[in-house]
Amino acid sequence: MTARVRAARSSRRPAETPFRLPPQPGEVIDRSRLVPFDWDGRRYVGFAGDTITSALAAAGVRTFSRSFKYSRPRGILTASALDPGCTVQVGDEPNVRASARRLAAGMSVVPQNVWPTLRYDLRSVNKVVAPFLTAGFYYKTFMSPRPLWPAYERVLSRFASGGWTSPDAIPSYYDQRFTHPDVLVAGGGPAGMAAAVEAARAGARVLLVEEEHELGGSLRWGGAQELEALGRLRADVAQAGIEVLVDSVVAGRYDDNWISIAQRGLPDVTERLIKARAGILVVAPGLIERPYVFAGNDLPGVMLSTAVRRLIDLYAVAPGSRAVVLSANAEGDAAAADLDRVGVEVVRVLDARRGEDVRRALGRGTLSAVEVADGSRIDCDLLVTATGWTAPTSLLNMAGNQPVWDPLAARFRPGEGLPDTVLATGGIVGDGSVDELVAHGTATGALAAARAGFGSAAVVAPLSPHPHPALFRATTHGFVDFPEDVSSKDVMAAAAEGYDSSELVKRYTTATMGPTQGKLETVNTVAVLAEATGRSIEELGTTVWRPPYAPISLGALAGRVSPPARYSPMQPWHETHSAVPLVAGEWIRPDSYGDPAAEVRAVRSAVGIIDVTPLGKLALHGPDVPNLLAAAYVNKWAKLDVGSVRYGVMCAEDGVILDDGVTGRLGAARYLMSTTSSGAATVWQHLESLLQTEHPDWRVHITPMTTAYASINIAGPRSRELLTRLTDVDLSADAFPYMRVRTGRIADVADCVLWRIGFTGELSYEIHVPASYGLHVWEALLERGRDLGVRPFGVEAQRILRLEKGHLIVAQDTDGLTKAYDAGLGDLVKLDKDDFVGKPELLWQHEDGAQQSLVGLVPVDPSIVPAEGCQIVDGATGILGRITSSRRSPTLDRSICLAYVLKQYAEPDTVVTVRLPDGRRIPATVTPPTHFDPEGARLRG
Amino acid sequence: MTARYSALSLLSRGLRGRNWPLVWRRHELAPTYDAVIIGAGVHGLAAAYYLAVNHGIRNVAVLDRSYLGGGGSGRNTAIIRSNYLTPEGVRFYDRSVKLYETLASELNFNVMFSQRGHLTLAHNDSSLRTMRWRAEVNKLQGVDSEVIGPDEIKSLVPYMDVSAQTRYPILGALYHPPGGIIRHDAVNWGYARGADARGVQIHEYTEVVGIDVEEGRVRGVQTSRGHISTPVVLNCTAGWSSLVSRLAGVRLPISTHPLQAAVTEPVKVFLNTVVVSGTLHVYVSQTDRGELVFGASTDPYPSYSTRGSLEFTEELAGHVLELMPSIAALRVLRQWAGLCDMTPDFSPIMGETPVEGFLVDVGWGTYGFKAGPVAGEAMAELVATGKTPDLISSFPLSRFADGRLVGEKGAAAVGH
Ligand SMILES: Cc1cc2nc3c(=O)[nH]c(=O)nc-3n(C[C@H](O)[C@H](O)[C@H](O)COP(=O)(O)OP(=O)(O)OC[C@H]3O[C@@H](n4cnc5c(N)ncnc54)[C@H](O)[C@@H]3O)c2cc1C
Repeated sequence: MTARVRAARSSRRPAETPFRLPPQPGEVIDRSRLVPFDWDGRRYVGFAGDTITSALAAAGVRTFSRSFKYSRPRGILTASALDPGCTVQVGDEPNVRASARRLAAGMSVVPQNVWPTLRYDLRSVNKVVAPFLTAGFYYKTFMSPRPLWPAYERVLSRFASGGWTSPDAIPSYYDQRFTHPDVLVAGGGPAGMAAAVEAARAGARVLLVEEEHELGGSLRWGGAQELEALGRLRADVAQAGIEVLVDSVVAGRYDDNWISIAQRGLPDVTERLIKARAGILVVAPGLIERPYVFAGNDLPGVMLSTAVRRLIDLYAVAPGSRAVVLSANAEGDAAAADLDRVGVEVVRVLDARRGEDVRRALGRGTLSAVEVADGSRIDCDLLVTATGWTAPTSLLNMAGNQPVWDPLAARFRPGEGLPDTVLATGGIVGDGSVDELVAHGTATGALAAARAGFGSAAVVAPLSPHPHPALFRATTHGFVDFPEDVSSKDVMAAAAEGYDSSELVKRYTTATMGPTQGKLETVNTVAVLAEATGRSIEELGTTVWRPPYAPISLGALAGRVSPPARYSPMQPWHETHSAVPLVAGEWIRPDSYGDPAAEVRAVRSAVGIIDVTPLGKLALHGPDVPNLLAAAYVNKWAKLDVGSVRYGVMCAEDGVILDDGVTGRLGAARYLMSTTSSGAATVWQHLESLLQTEHPDWRVHITPMTTAYASINIAGPRSRELLTRLTDVDLSADAFPYMRVRTGRIADVADCVLWRIGFTGELSYEIHVPASYGLHVWEALLERGRDLGVRPFGVEAQRILRLEKGHLIVAQDTDGLTKAYDAGLGDLVKLDKDDFVGKPELLWQHEDGAQQSLVGLVPVDPSIVPAEGCQIVDGATGILGRITSSRRSPTLDRSICLAYVLKQYAEPDTVVTVRLPDGRRIPATVTPPTHFDPEGARLRG
Repeated sequence: MTARYSALSLLSRGLRGRNWPLVWRRHELAPTYDAVIIGAGVHGLAAAYYLAVNHGIRNVAVLDRSYLGGGGSGRNTAIIRSNYLTPEGVRFYDRSVKLYETLASELNFNVMFSQRGHLTLAHNDSSLRTMRWRAEVNKLQGVDSEVIGPDEIKSLVPYMDVSAQTRYPILGALYHPPGGIIRHDAVNWGYARGADARGVQIHEYTEVVGIDVEEGRVRGVQTSRGHISTPVVLNCTAGWSSLVSRLAGVRLPISTHPLQAAVTEPVKVFLNTVVVSGTLHVYVSQTDRGELVFGASTDPYPSYSTRGSLEFTEELAGHVLELMPSIAALRVLRQWAGLCDMTPDFSPIMGETPVEGFLVDVGWGTYGFKAGPVAGEAMAELVATGKTPDLISSFPLSRFADGRLVGEKGAAAVGH
């Protein structure tokens, strides 16, 4: 059912809120602002400041989802962002953490993983087959009969947990920001706040990032003393000029303190990725309370002590009516006291420090009783556990730190060895009173500032964890991973089967692979594994914590998606003259102006101009340019005199053709090199790499000029006539012959480069004019050439023209294996040169002889234009070659191709068979590559 | 002894609360083996399995310095396909797909091979041309592969933006219906279990630190747990293969690059094919668990680090949203990296080396998981018969000395 249908059905009278308590001293809700919203088709009203779950808990809602495998009801466990059973769908947004997401008016919230409804879930029949669904069961079944696997798979994938996406979701706004704080503090509890304040006081620019909606950490749910300390710290933070981000999480720490922060709760921005290059990172995330493993530990009504305190003290919600508390620490005792204070009956407090324990939680749907280790049974609707802590060390791990197991404190803590730029403070390091934590934070803040260059070095007195009983599992089995539905029994079974290391057990059972990535689950999993294998937790260690610490949306990671596009200065003209765009890598350029065949005819009969600005252009300066050219190109360059241009081919180390183009000598030590449009960056990189790694002694400067010049090719029998009207350069055949370069003015623009070359096979000039005058020169050419029949042409016409002429295009008529000899460029390769890139490979190829040749090919039926990529075949499967270029030639009025064929089929007039994509086989005749004007009379004229 | 896996046995053991026997057993190192395989990834394990099953050679040790499957075989994005570019590549990978198709029943271990179809998108006419070329070569080898247009793409992937308004409009795609994804761990474990059942010994946490070579012949290996003598050593260590080969004095034309990947939180399944875009350097599939799995091209510099970078997830997210703009709210849950042993021609190196008895099955780069079965089968044949099977004869180490490279750059760079 869609969210909309559910919403429409919702009754308009909001649910009562019998569990809302009278005002609490530290509450974060604003009782003067009511926020209506829908949950599962019903109308509810909470207060501003409520989370989705706190508002629903106030109305007595206990169940928020069903587990994906066993379909067990799940409720509030942590009342924090980690709450495993409280992931919901909000409108189009899946997997929203309902215990961390604040209410917004009109929100439509629906549960996930429930079918058909939260209350009646057909998949509950799974319970019957639960013994079958042990960890990894799917590896052991659904194998036969094989043809049924796709059907099994469809069923299995129905069970996929999580919410829904929609192909029509309207992308909302995401953003990114860069910042460079001297000190970045991750975690705004007492220690983190104190560290931030102290660092700021020393003069450092400080960024303080807190995952929750307000600063304070555990102080927020403390008693009068804690609240007073909180007030003081908040005032200090406000005064110290610290930038504070709440509802924001430090998600990753990468090399050199490159830090990612996911910022939420901004108006009009769904999520923002902040990228911070921090001088010093202070990690102060506090501690995470660890769930306890026992039968029924996932029943709605079983909660952690911190969840109870959050609900009561932050949201003024009574988490139940009759409570049993299992406590091994002060937090558990405080939860019991809180419950008592607000009038929840505390039937029994079990002191785990004295060996008291629970055996199992009982209830259908929600908790109704607890069976205690002594065998007694107590009716209750709330069971609170406070059995230990987990230090969220992942940011430290990302900085290369290995956590170590502290057996006395029964938790991992940071190990030795952190980079100088990373510090830790607060609960993650050790325990203490508020004052002790603040003192540690203050000292750490001073040290951070000093390391960032502010104030003098400080000494940080050590803070150690307090002893804590090692409690992981009661005498019964329960869940170690709630969202993944993995129980301690599964872990033990996996260990018995041989999946007995942290990594293998994780992979086999999927424990710790869910939404919290092990923050709640890892230690219990390892503890159970230790129990099963008789090894210690220390020995087993944990799996590697990987970024991100908390999930980040694709939207924020992408930022404002706007991949760059490059256009020539003539683009405005193209756009207003019906150019058909061609996406050519980074560039977008005219493919044609509507009629490529007519464009071809204009070039052959009169004159055409094409915008070739994307051609790569590199200015080369220095006395060693000839050496560089000789090393990079396969042909010779020593004798290129000023005023000449030459065609060259570059190969890579493996002899494969890398690029081609012409280079002209403009002055004694001044050259201009052109590359293919797509090869511009590669060639530049290649040349720089040659200069920097192999010939650092050569004096050559390379300046990329691609976009500094606008480039135009003027081609056709009347190109000379046209260009003469615009330039002072003498274009007469004698003064400016083929393969020469000149500089001069064109259309009153100074410093233009003209070279006489011809890709199209016609008399043509390629001009490079300063980019800002590109449009002017382009328009002048069209204007002055009107009576000559000048016409702009696009890439498609150029491809046809060059195909008629038999000129290859690198990367179209060559591929990742084509060496110079295959492509018929053997004559260019000068093996007698001292050295050049690719020489050894080309030497081999020269000795062996190329296996294939690039030839012209014409289908016997001139109306058939085979698709490029068609194979030239022999019998059923034999491959003799393939077509690389294929077009209809307007000039010759027939189809023409370039193709590779094995040497023995390369003789002109050989008839070969081409297989078309639809399976038809057609005859075609091999020809020389040049289909038009083989003598080149037009070009040289 | 191995117990047969089936629905019935699952139920009966489940009800009686009986545990399963070890999936593979633990052993002390023996002083001698007929063959030692270094690396317990899919290649090493498959080779061991086929040595035992096809050739009856069972006195074999598979050594790994870490946990089984902890290299690329447990970190890859598990794309299986055979729509390569060269006839020799297509033939080779097609044999692997065939082996994968029957692997679950052969191993009695559900490897969950999901042949959901594989799409390689073309965003420009040159990739469209290469795809046509690939499709034609594939068809001639009997491999199901065809170039399709934007409408067909849209019907296969309704979330795809095939409009002309995007920065890199989708012009078409190479569609390969038998391609898909597999559960990589299951393949590793299944081969391990199958090999173990036939007497092969698998030794995890056993690092090879030396290889004894006398008079150009292998004599044994030194490990962190002691010395073993053996006449045959097969190097299946992928990202570490050039280091391990050097222990035998053999240099490989391999450089190791990290390759990163990431997954999102699960959502209800909406993507039923594997989608690859070479232009945007990204590929994506959705597991049966609902997670989107992403990958890209290798990091541009050689390194042995397996840490992820922020830039990787940023670029990936940008590119994925170019393809499927409506999933911006999905969150990346985890990123990781593995090591890839890249060769100059994007093709593997299989076969003999100048040191007699020292064989390599390496150079698997970003695409080697799909080849595990066929490479294992072929290498087992080579070990057993001393003859290089035809199927792998185009991939010898010697090709780098005589210039006979295999051209798979176009089909393997991002596509894996
Ligand atoms: C992120 C990522 C995505 C990928 N995606 C795909 C994909 O979609 N499709 C695909 O086909 N391929 C993919 N690959 C490539 C694929 O994972 C590998 O090519 C393949 O797994 C290699 O398998 P292997 O058995 O040769 O090596 P590995 O699985 O890497 O195993 C090598 C083993 O050697 C061990 N070892 C190393 N040195 C020593 C020593 N001295 N002594 C003992 N043991 C040692 C290591 O511990 C390791 O376990 C991907 C790779 C990565 C990293």
